[in-house]
Amino acid sequence: MRSPSPSLLGLVGRAALGALVLVAVVGPLLSLGLWSVAERWHWPAPFPQQVGMKYWSRMLQGDPLRALTRGVTIASVTTVLALAMAVPVAYLAARRRLPAGPLALALFILPQAFPQLPVFASATVLFYRWNLAGTVPGVVLIHLVGGLVYAVWTLTAAFRSIGPELEEAAQNLGASTTRTFFRVTLPLAMPGVVASAILVFLHSLDEFNGTLLVGAPYVTTLPVYMYTASLGYELQIASVTALVLMVPGVVLLLLLERFLRAEYLAFFGHL
Amino acid sequence: MNRWERWGWTLAALPAVLVLLVTFGLPLAQSLAASFVRDGRPTLENYALVYRLYRQDVLYTLGVAAAGVLLTFACGIHLAGYFRLRAWPWVEFLLKVPLFVPFVVTGHAMRVFLQPSGTLSLALGALGLVAPGTRLGLGEGWLGLVLALTWKHLALVVLLLVGAFRAVDDSYLEAAQGFGAGYLRQTWAVLVPMSATPLALACVLTLTSMLGSFSIPLLMSRGSGPQMLMIDLYYRFGQHGDFGVASALGVISYVLASGAVYAYLRSVAR
Repeated sequence: MRSPSPSLLGLVGRAALGALVLVAVVGPLLSLGLWSVAERWHWPAPFPQQVGMKYWSRMLQGDPLRALTRGVTIASVTTVLALAMAVPVAYLAARRRLPAGPLALALFILPQAFPQLPVFASATVLFYRWNLAGTVPGVVLIHLVGGLVYAVWTLTAAFRSIGPELEEAAQNLGASTTRTFFRVTLPLAMPGVVASAILVFLHSLDEFNGTLLVGAPYVTTLPVYMYTASLGYELQIASVTALVLMVPGVVLLLLLERFLRAEYLAFFGHL
Repeated sequence: MNRWERWGWTLAALPAVLVLLVTFGLPLAQSLAASFVRDGRPTLENYALVYRLYRQDVLYTLGVAAAGVLLTFACGIHLAGYFRLRAWPWVEFLLKVPLFVPFVVTGHAMRVFLQPSGTLSLALGALGLVAPGTRLGLGEGWLGLVLALTWKHLALVVLLLVGAFRAVDDSYLEAAQGFGAGYLRQTWAVLVPMSATPLALACVLTLTSMLGSFSIPLLMSRGSGPQMLMIDLYYRFGQHGDFGVASALGVISYVLASGAVYAYLRSVAR
């Protein structure tokens, strides 16, 4: 395409646009950074009077550390369970062999479309009846709602991108479908499986709505901890926690930007 | 795939379906049913209470979501059109960052940034753009909420729109350029009409997400004045223990989200 000749107006506009995007995107995140190191900040000074790592070091002990390790444990269990359960569904869907196909797949997309909170509130009522409210298994179950949806869709895309020719070749040599799947299809789909696992893990680590309702009052993960701190005007603690919560996602964006396909990225919008 | 394998695979697929039925399907059905029951009797009283107590909040929620969608797409269309016509990778990358910032973190960041004594007031005061010590009241009302929701949703909208705009063939844009169309004309007269379907889809998804937003308003609201629907639902459920009215609020949000349900189901049917 013919590149337009740069006019003065165009260049000024371009610079203004770049500056505006920079301020709008980075500004709120920079405030978090400032608050996280502000040991003393009295209004209306534009900068903290005293900066230090006091609140960061507090992150490494006591309640926040417990919330972090508990969140990582829950996310790990959720990821393993979601992937193990989603692989058969995704493979059958990719090969169009899912019984009651469209109906079953609809079940795996509707949680994305409905507002989460009323459904989770209703699930909390059920979980109370089943003694799952306020327990780690209850929180894992609620994280599996989003986790299964993400896993099924990313894995279906991954399996579908592997053409049936290789599978047919293996089957012509006498391998069963199941053997072919484990020896041919699954290894080839490994990049997609890894992307799916990362997505489910991040979803669980960042999940707030369900954890707040189902986990209360005994299961506190990092997002719930951050919410409590922010509402209690412990802005430093909340800001440190917020930055810690952002780390995995931003690292992923920096490392994998080129490898993450647009349809995976679209899922992150729902975190 | 022989008969035994077919049975085996179907059996292996069953747990995922069962888990979603128990954690999503059953609660959804229960909330629909509970919205029509009060004190053990079938009734419309929950809806009457919603009308009496929350009708302003329903309108407020619709207004905030509509304003958010307008602002998001006013920015998103122009940005995506700009990136399509004049590539600018690092700004495009920068705009993707909020995609990876969880909703609840966005809520807290915007609270710190926009509240009256927040960092935006301080920065503008330090730069001399407002009198030092001015407390801008952006963060606590509807405008702050709209700005925060836009900040979070713009990333996904730009991502979807850039994808759609890149699918438009260069020859159309070159033809428009030949007639002297500039950036704005090319965006609005070529790119937007040729991407009508993905644009409408992105619009419906953004609207639903904003209508159902919970953690951002939860962290930004000051507890008085009109509230978003999900905040009402949370307090009705958590503090009043009134599952009936909470469910009625939920059913209203399902109805408002029906556009997204339709769009998603159509994408499955394809």
